[in-house]
Amino acid sequence: MPQKYYVYISLSLVAITLGFLMAVQFRVSGDYNIGIPRENTQELSQELKQLKSNNKNLQAELSDLKIKLKQVNAGQAQAVQALKSELKKGRMAAGMVTVTGPGVEVILDNPKSSEHSQSNTLFIIRDQDLLKVINELRGAGAEALSINGERIIATSEVRYAGSFINVNTKRIVPPYQVLAVGDPQALEHALAIPGGLRDYLGNLGIKVKIKKHEELTVPAYFKENNFKYAKSM
Amino acid sequence: MMWAGIVLVILGTLVGIFLGLNIPVSLPEYYAVYTSVAALAAVDSVLGGIRAAVDDSFDHVIFISGFFTNAMLAAGLVFIGDRLGIDLYLAAVVAFGVRIFQNVSLIRRHLLNRK
Repeated sequence: MPQKYYVYISLSLVAITLGFLMAVQFRVSGDYNIGIPRENTQELSQELKQLKSNNKNLQAELSDLKIKLKQVNAGQAQAVQALKSELKKGRMAAGMVTVTGPGVEVILDNPKSSEHSQSNTLFIIRDQDLLKVINELRGAGAEALSINGERIIATSEVRYAGSFINVNTKRIVPPYQVLAVGDPQALEHALAIPGGLRDYLGNLGIKVKIKKHEELTVPAYFKENNFKYAKSM
Repeated sequence: MMWAGIVLVILGTLVGIFLGLNIPVSLPEYYAVYTSVAALAAVDSVLGGIRAAVDDSFDHVIFISGFFTNAMLAAGLVFIGDRLGIDLYLAAVVAFGVRIFQNVSLIRRHLLNRK
């Protein structure tokens, strides 16, 4: 009988060992994917080495490109800044922005009809008179001009259309208020010089008032600029 | 007696597999061929043991010592073959393979005779 037990014990012992070895083997095969024949190890290690050096080179390139990208970005930011300031200047020069500053306010009004009842139309303010005022103010260094809230820009017209004066194709009515931003002293002198425009208009019976302002606001040009024929070079 | 042996073998194998799957250490891939040959030796030994049991000539000392000697010898062959650059473990594989087939056929015959 004890002989039998020995048989069982040794059999199961060996069987356990067998199962254990098989399980270890399975795990090894599973873990390492068996797909690597050992003859290839040298080749593979060489490939690995090469890939590592490639990786190193590419890393260096990456950092180099990153630095370049940074520089480019910085340059771009500067360029955008420059363009923005340029655009601002351009809009300012074109009269597309509302501006404030010291300047003069010139108010021109037709004489009261009661004073010159018989021939009212003789003393009415003509487009030429307004143009003269604007021209004189420009000559005195006005940086921004408007008539009755209409900004005078490069394409603005001041002309009779029927019995009214149009500015920027908008009808304006007296009293005419001309705003000019510039050196108030110089602007006033340009108009008020003896024998100048004020005297001339006054002689025609037009009421001319010139006020100096520390701060006045000239509105922007609101309409869209459509260039149909002109093309930039 | 023989049926109990077979049942024990199956149970023992299952227990061994359970143990082997649950140990925390994993064998390096390099030694996989050693364990595979050792497993082959174990299969051979188990079948040999069963055959001896059915012949009523089972001796546990011979059985155990044969198992370990065979496993060691096979592992040694693998090692030497590795050093020499020859796939010497094939010798162990062939030897064990032949013996496994012999033992299985003997067991089969015995079983058939009994019935």
